[in-house]
Amino acid sequence: MAASSETKGEGTLRKAFGGVLGFFILLLIGAFAFSIRLFSVIKYESVIHEFDPYFNYRVTQFLTKNGIYDFWNWFDDRTWYPLGRVIGGTVYPGLTLTAGSIWWLLNNLNIPLSVETVCVFTAPIFSANASWATYLLTKEVKGTGAGLTAAALLAMVPSYISRSVAGSYDNEAVAIFALIFTFYLYIKTLNTGSLFYATLNALSYFYMVCSWGGYTFIINLIPMHVLLCIVTGRYSPRLYIAYAPLVVLGTLLASLVPVVGFNAVMTSEHFASFLVFIIIHVVALVYYIKGILSPKMFKVAVTLVVTIGIAVCCAVLAILIALVASSPTKGWSGRSLSLLDPTYASKYIPIIASVSEHQPPTWPSYFMDINVLAFLVPAGIVACFLPLSDASSFMVLYITTSVYFSGVMVRLMLVLAPAACIMSGIALSEAFDVFTRSIKLQLPKLFESPSGSGDIDSTQDEVVKVDNKSATDKSETAPKERPSKKNRKKEREIVETTIKKPLNAKRLLVLPLEASSVAILLLIIFGAFYVVHCVWAAAEAYSAPSIVLTSHSHDGLHVFDDFREAYAWLRHNTDVDDKVASWWDYGYQTTAMANRTVIVDNNTWNNTHIATVGTAMSSPEKPAWEIFNSLDVKYVLVVFGGLVGYPSDDINKFLWMVRIGGGVFPHIREPDYLRDGQYRIDAHATPTMLNCLMYKLSYYRFVETDGKGFDRVRRTEIGKKHFKLTHFEEVFTTHHWMVRIYKLKSPKNRIRGKSKKSKSNSKTGPSNSKRHSNLRKNPW
Amino acid sequence: MASQMPIATSLLILLLLILGGAAASSPSGEDLVAELETLRSQSPSGFIHLDDRLVSRFLTSAATPRPYSLFIFFDAAQLRSKPELHLPHLHSEFALLSASFAAHHRKDDASSSFPGTHRLFFCDIEFGESQNSFALFGVSSLPHARLVPASALSLRDDSIPMDQSDFSRGAESMADFLEAKAKIPLGGPILRPPPISPRQALFLLAALLISSPFLIRRVLAGDTLVHDRRLWMALALFVYFFGVSGTMHNIIRNMPMFLPDRSNPDRLIFFFQGSGMQLGAEGFAVGFLYMVVGLVLAFATHALARWKSVSAQRGFMLVGMLVSYWAVSKVIYLDNWKTGYSIHAFWPNSWR
Repeated sequence: MAASSETKGEGTLRKAFGGVLGFFILLLIGAFAFSIRLFSVIKYESVIHEFDPYFNYRVTQFLTKNGIYDFWNWFDDRTWYPLGRVIGGTVYPGLTLTAGSIWWLLNNLNIPLSVETVCVFTAPIFSANASWATYLLTKEVKGTGAGLTAAALLAMVPSYISRSVAGSYDNEAVAIFALIFTFYLYIKTLNTGSLFYATLNALSYFYMVCSWGGYTFIINLIPMHVLLCIVTGRYSPRLYIAYAPLVVLGTLLASLVPVVGFNAVMTSEHFASFLVFIIIHVVALVYYIKGILSPKMFKVAVTLVVTIGIAVCCAVLAILIALVASSPTKGWSGRSLSLLDPTYASKYIPIIASVSEHQPPTWPSYFMDINVLAFLVPAGIVACFLPLSDASSFMVLYITTSVYFSGVMVRLMLVLAPAACIMSGIALSEAFDVFTRSIKLQLPKLFESPSGSGDIDSTQDEVVKVDNKSATDKSETAPKERPSKKNRKKEREIVETTIKKPLNAKRLLVLPLEASSVAILLLIIFGAFYVVHCVWAAAEAYSAPSIVLTSHSHDGLHVFDDFREAYAWLRHNTDVDDKVASWWDYGYQTTAMANRTVIVDNNTWNNTHIATVGTAMSSPEKPAWEIFNSLDVKYVLVVFGGLVGYPSDDINKFLWMVRIGGGVFPHIREPDYLRDGQYRIDAHATPTMLNCLMYKLSYYRFVETDGKGFDRVRRTEIGKKHFKLTHFEEVFTTHHWMVRIYKLKSPKNRIRGKSKKSKSNSKTGPSNSKRHSNLRKNPW
Repeated sequence: MASQMPIATSLLILLLLILGGAAASSPSGEDLVAELETLRSQSPSGFIHLDDRLVSRFLTSAATPRPYSLFIFFDAAQLRSKPELHLPHLHSEFALLSASFAAHHRKDDASSSFPGTHRLFFCDIEFGESQNSFALFGVSSLPHARLVPASALSLRDDSIPMDQSDFSRGAESMADFLEAKAKIPLGGPILRPPPISPRQALFLLAALLISSPFLIRRVLAGDTLVHDRRLWMALALFVYFFGVSGTMHNIIRNMPMFLPDRSNPDRLIFFFQGSGMQLGAEGFAVGFLYMVVGLVLAFATHALARWKSVSAQRGFMLVGMLVSYWAVSKVIYLDNWKTGYSIHAFWPNSWR
């Protein structure tokens, strides 16, 4: 009796010690997740990165300056000129509101941080949150050990780092946390059957909808899992509680987000959830009737219910199909369609196919982004099937769908990364479990009695007991809190019996001692390689802000700060209301940093408008001038990397301009710009290519730099070296020639013959007559 | 005067005779159209198989403007086996276009058969049996299709060749070409045969209906294939393998499994250097390595401990660890080779 209480006390002490240790490990994981993302700040500076983050930063600035109501109703006239854009209604507000509230909170605590600083560090903070959420989710699936391993893996997985380094202030930064946390709450509800968690789940889903368009992944994955559970005969009331409130509350909340609105009930992305909602009710009814009727009566009833159920389902299905078929794209958005039919985008939507993050990845990108986790995931999948629970089946579904989606679009690697971390965490933790158990149980035996064969039986019995205990511990997914024990009891009994049986049949569940220790050593090396790779990736590959570029050469470090130089020039030397045209990649930066109105930007909502700019860039000077003039454009900005060898410049993007332009204006034909199907800018280039605006603006005066006009990106001498611009004039070129800004020449200087006509047209107005007098003095 | 008269008369008669002879030997446009229509009706997919004789009859010797234009697909039996030309596929697409055109224009033909209506006929011509015609058109490379408008005098210069790009999307782009160049609208969408015929669909539906009670019963009883965990596990592992080896990339980009080496034609290239592209075989090879390591680890964790023989366990673990070590180092090596990255650790300066 005393001994048992002693062991009990020892057990609780160990548990408490484990709990404290686990807490500190989690703290360290959080700190690690935060600090590994600071390379960009240390190596460069605390700036916002790339393109989209600049827009988010600008929106956050607006929010902090003008308040939430103005933000909600914000109509932005500085972009998509002359159309403008309703920002409040077309933006996912989650990130902005999160950063805005952090800033507000800090300021109210008298910590005066600038908005930019808050924005820069939002992503690292949320990475720490995401790794904690991963711990919670994996703990629900396979226990604490797997949870800690998965959290540690997620803290440094390169795929996630690539989107969440300090300064990368984008939706994904908070969305991945929201995604994992929603999944955690779903699994938690599924394990406990508690309505409290179900409500939290809906709220978390709401946060996800606020943050990222990828929420459709959740609202399709969870119904798929529910359907899978039903089909494989795993329906339970817990499943109903986990699913039904999520659909009802989640859909209501989702439609509160302006950018989603009625899409939450009207687009096909959401129909799966409604269909499963109906099915789960039918199934719930069947189970209910089965419970209240005798088996004989039930057989009679089942035919009735099944026929009615099928009839209802068919009717709803028919309505859905009719609804879907009546819309032209069958109710699916282009991005979703290109996921389901991978060849769709490349055929029909060049603007989706043109974005580099929408390309399908190759195997090195997997190795770069999830590294050695790719080896561990199969083991994790197998572990999830032994034994298969509701939670682990969800994880299997998550990894399979996400691995497929990531295969279609490289940016969805981000969704795969948490799943891969969780799976690898499970695999690693199970492997360590087996190997350390082998050592732990065999090591004392090695010292005690190498020849005592009589002991073996008793030790084996002990082993079985220990094993049993640990196995049942593991199968108890939530050992601490179980509000509704009733529901779970039955399920757990089943699980326990399935585990006990094989354990009793086989006795000693250990592996050879020395082999286990070598295996542990190998696994540690394996993990160490992962850490080295992740740190390297964070430091070298993913920390470049792309607004400031550096290059190492034999004579030291070179910094290319041309973008900010150009935007600063625009901000200081042009009129506040001047319009600047550039390819859409630079729209967000121009509005945020130069504070000038742009024609198109990275929010590619209007294909025609982008095609207009693309057409202008691919036309000869005069038609291009006319297009730009009709859009009130004063300045044209091109990015040119030929002098310093910056490969993602406009000349390399030019074929997409042609394609997108040609998609709307058929007189722009891609073959005209290609010589025998090859894109070239040297002497063999086509005349159309050599005369288009993009070529001229990029290579104007380029020959003056080295006398030959050698392009260091295309590695060739340019085709047409000496030419003059007739309709544009160069006003600014940055230090390394990376950004070149041109001004549209005013029409009256240019067309002498037409001046009479314009004079007769505009007799009224003193300003006009003044301009005419100027004109006469002009030698033109 | 009298002596001149007979000469003039005889000349006139001669002229008339020549004209009449010519008229008798070359049939009128109407006859040719009728003949073409009979030829068309003989072929199941509604296009005419031309040879040298027919080409000369309908094109070279027929007076311009002809009351019809021909859309000719150039085929070669000996090149059909070459996969990069896609000749059989394009031929079937062409047949599809022809059939759809016929279906959309059947009404017009029946209602308005007055002369002067513009007629379009779809023809194909085979290289082996009509080499002269190929020379006549000046066709030297395949795939090739040409539209011979009604007014074309010289087959080589006045006919309109179709661009390579117009082949790209099959029948749809060919129809676009017709509409753009010949101003002949197709009059409706391309009528593709459904992947399963209505009869098959009915049969499937019936089979489903008949089997559904049994299926539902088995689902309720819980002993179908979908209740088998091993099936799901295999499926999940397969999807993972499929995804991680970059198969979607191969499908979307139409990547071949391997390339022939340009410098040495006997060798095949299985691994492509440069991270933007991959070949089919290399993806599967690396995916296989991923799977091997994962499955060995899973086996060691979950099944090996139940083995009775300790030496078998030891042997398996040894082999497994060696294989895993080899696979991981191979993938790391391949990745470094392919991407050109050199991954290194960051040590404190004092350790150096």
